[in-house]
Amino acid sequence: MLTFINYRYVVKCKVSYSIETCNVTCFASLSLSSVSWLLFSGFRERNTYFHYWLLSSCKSISSIHHIMDLNQKRTRMVDRVDSVDPDLVSPESTPMCPFPDEVLEPVLSLINSHKDRSSVSLVCKDWYNAERWSRRHVFIGNCYSVSPEIVVGRFPKIRSVTLKGKPRFSDFNLVPEDWGADVYPWLSVLAKAYPFLEELRLKRMAVSDESLEFLAMNFPEFKALSLLSCDGFSTDGLKAIATHCRNLAELDIQENGIDDLGGDWLSCFPETLTTLQVLNFASLNSEVNFNDLEKLVTRCKSLRVLKVNRTINLDQLQKLLLRAPQLTELGTGTFTQDLVTRPVADLEATFGSCKNLLTISGLWDTNSLYLPVIYPACASLTFLNLSCAALRSFELAMLLIHCKSLRRLWVLDTVGDMGLEAVGSWCPLLEELRVFPADPFEQENVAGVTESGFVAVSRGCPKLHYVLYFCHQMTNAAVATVVQNCPGFTHFRLCIMNLGQPDYVTNEPMDEAFGAVVRTCPNLQRLAVSGLLTDLTFEYIGKYAKNLEILSVAFAGSSDLGLKYVLGGCPRLRKLEIRDCPFGNAALLSGLTKYESMRSLWMSACNLTMNGCRVLAKEMPRLNVEVMKDEDSEDSQAHKVYIYRTVAGPRRDAPPFVLTL
Amino acid sequence: MDVTLGLLPDSPAGDDGGGVPSGGSTTVKSILTKEDNNKNNMVMCSEVSSSYPVGDQNLGDLELGLGLSIGGGGGGGLKGKVVAGGGGWSQYARILTAKDFKQNSCSSSSCSVSIPNSATDSVSPTNGNSVVGWPPVSKAHRMPSLANENKSPTGNRISVTEQTKSKNRTVVINDYSNEKARISDKKYRSVKVNMDGSLIGRKVDLNAHTSYEMLAQTLEEMFFRRRSSTEAAKSSRLLDGTSEFVLTYEDKDGDCMLVGDVPWQMFLSSVKRLRIMKNSESNELAPRFQESHERRRTDVV
Repeated sequence: MLTFINYRYVVKCKVSYSIETCNVTCFASLSLSSVSWLLFSGFRERNTYFHYWLLSSCKSISSIHHIMDLNQKRTRMVDRVDSVDPDLVSPESTPMCPFPDEVLEPVLSLINSHKDRSSVSLVCKDWYNAERWSRRHVFIGNCYSVSPEIVVGRFPKIRSVTLKGKPRFSDFNLVPEDWGADVYPWLSVLAKAYPFLEELRLKRMAVSDESLEFLAMNFPEFKALSLLSCDGFSTDGLKAIATHCRNLAELDIQENGIDDLGGDWLSCFPETLTTLQVLNFASLNSEVNFNDLEKLVTRCKSLRVLKVNRTINLDQLQKLLLRAPQLTELGTGTFTQDLVTRPVADLEATFGSCKNLLTISGLWDTNSLYLPVIYPACASLTFLNLSCAALRSFELAMLLIHCKSLRRLWVLDTVGDMGLEAVGSWCPLLEELRVFPADPFEQENVAGVTESGFVAVSRGCPKLHYVLYFCHQMTNAAVATVVQNCPGFTHFRLCIMNLGQPDYVTNEPMDEAFGAVVRTCPNLQRLAVSGLLTDLTFEYIGKYAKNLEILSVAFAGSSDLGLKYVLGGCPRLRKLEIRDCPFGNAALLSGLTKYESMRSLWMSACNLTMNGCRVLAKEMPRLNVEVMKDEDSEDSQAHKVYIYRTVAGPRRDAPPFVLTL
Repeated sequence: MDVTLGLLPDSPAGDDGGGVPSGGSTTVKSILTKEDNNKNNMVMCSEVSSSYPVGDQNLGDLELGLGLSIGGGGGGGLKGKVVAGGGGWSQYARILTAKDFKQNSCSSSSCSVSIPNSATDSVSPTNGNSVVGWPPVSKAHRMPSLANENKSPTGNRISVTEQTKSKNRTVVINDYSNEKARISDKKYRSVKVNMDGSLIGRKVDLNAHTSYEMLAQTLEEMFFRRRSSTEAAKSSRLLDGTSEFVLTYEDKDGDCMLVGDVPWQMFLSSVKRLRIMKNSESNELAPRFQESHERRRTDVV
């Protein structure tokens, strides 16, 4: 009988763990995916399952040294999974998993990454069971890939659910309303299976007031609600949540298609509620009762995230900050005032007293008169969201001088290239930059940012790995320079807003720009391309972007080859979204075997026909091939196609315009 | 791929070779699709057609009416350009010409700019690149009133459950697989109903009702529990002003109107939201709904 021995860490570093004596509990909590060399010892028996798990889940492991017996100093070496000794890892060689459940479950409960958990569950039946009993949070990236019944059948003890619904292009009005992703069917199943559910995070789901009311009434322990880009509900639904969720800790309402009927939902929080930690209603428009808000903030001593909406003025903000100096994330209201009713110094001092602030957002309408009040809080800021404040370059520059710890910055393109030069100068630790267009539909007389601002940032911020950049002009050379300066890009989203815009200096396509990106940035996970692009771009992507997971393409490519290149390469591709490209059936069918390894594929306004989609649907029964019919599109054309893998079969709630082939 | 663009012909004086069509008439079709009546937050371009005989240089008396309605805050304002010089066109605002589309003169290798013409998608404002959903800036703050016109199963569910008056409503999920035949031409018309003093609003499917009486009965069932069976026989108290509440609605223009004045069909076409108001407040029927129609364009993509 195996007796477990406590182990201690000897050496712990990012790429290799030497665990001569290792506490089993600690071992499981390691982020194993970065391990490349592993030594562990002391197990009395050869632990084949453990090896198997390690090899399957730790892709970078190159060798495992297993010292069987400290006294005898015998070692067995196990190589990478492809050249492994089958005797060593074949599950049949040891009839029983040596880890008793009582040990396995607590160990596994420390693993939070859902990818690691998936790997764990594949080891053997006992591990599968231990994993499913110990899982507390389930993440469902596509609500139609699985049915709620299957989920509750497998995981009996879930406390937290994350659900994502509509394809991302629904954010840009490409998905008709009533497409689906209704959360209600999920809620009704979850209510029976997980009456003690605590958290629900929804993204791009259709949420009705009735659903919110159902949620509020049927889950007595409910604590955290986060709605991002959802639609179909109104502030009445929020009233239900506020009124009935006695233990609410988080209410995070972001960017939804919400019917704002008034601000009285906030007054529905009972006087007894003191557990609120996160309150974000920045995207709502109606005025709330300030007294009630102030009282709420006062009595919720653990409040760490407060993002108010635009109707809250500076005086009110001052009062709120005095009540909640412990905040770590603040979203202000309107940040300007016609009448200075109290000295601005008061507010400045208040910001100075908020020692824990890491994030500031909001700052609507601010200007050089009022913006300086936040300077005392800037030194420790890691995230500054200025996407609602149309700052000019010098205003941004003056602000950034104080923000030396900044990691993430979101701005409007009103700051111009000069503003971005200031970013490069003052924020050496910057990791993420998003530049949004202040006036995206304006075609003429636009200032905005250009390639020189982009290059300036890259020069000053070598740690930059996430960029979202909206501009009107770009050059291949500039992009090549940027990625030379910042080869660590993981997310590169460049949006040249003029359709089909070539390199404005050389008039060539932008192929070489994205070629440079994929060649130079080996860790690239997400890419969005734009500008004038031929099939060459996709050849580069297929060939070099080995870690690419998400690709967004619009108005690009010359022929089927483009898509074929991508589907033939990019082994890690999960989400592919394409619009208005000349890719046809041949290209679609070239990826036949790939789609089951992906979460979803969206293709709209391409050259697909119904027949092509039918062929795909027939060959791959475990995919849902959905075609959205328009009133004016011809019957044979497949105008909008959404393909995703699923274990739940065709949708039962598809509206009439969605045909599942 | 065809590029369908909205063009106004250049000055017929032909100075910049803008291409006077050889046909007898020109129809200017807007790039943008016609809006659904339900969506009111986007720019609409109306169709403009002009016809003039070829070769007729005298356009002084040609009246060209351009109707552009620009919705709330969606984007830039009217993009008009006055043609400098050139015949009778100089005093008319010109929206788009072939010259405006410089970026489309791209190399032959890739020039597939297709502009989807989908009637169901909402649109971006008039400009040279009027493409649905481009640039990809999220619709994070679209118009609040859209939720009312949501042709979702929600409305249908609620109208089913209105019949059950039980405390624990069991909401029936609309299973489309059985109802495909029925749905073909029927659209759900559900509107929100709020009552003064009540916390939660409800939704009611207007298409499920054929008259004011029916609607009022439904609403009474929803909001007022009937205490005695004798009330069932009486006609609706909401409509005849004897109850302490009045039934009002908000129409397309945002005005607050008393329900029952206009014919039922007209009511159906103009109603946006219902409200059960206390009698004391019904005297001012001024527009009281102050939705903010601001829309931030600069949001998370």
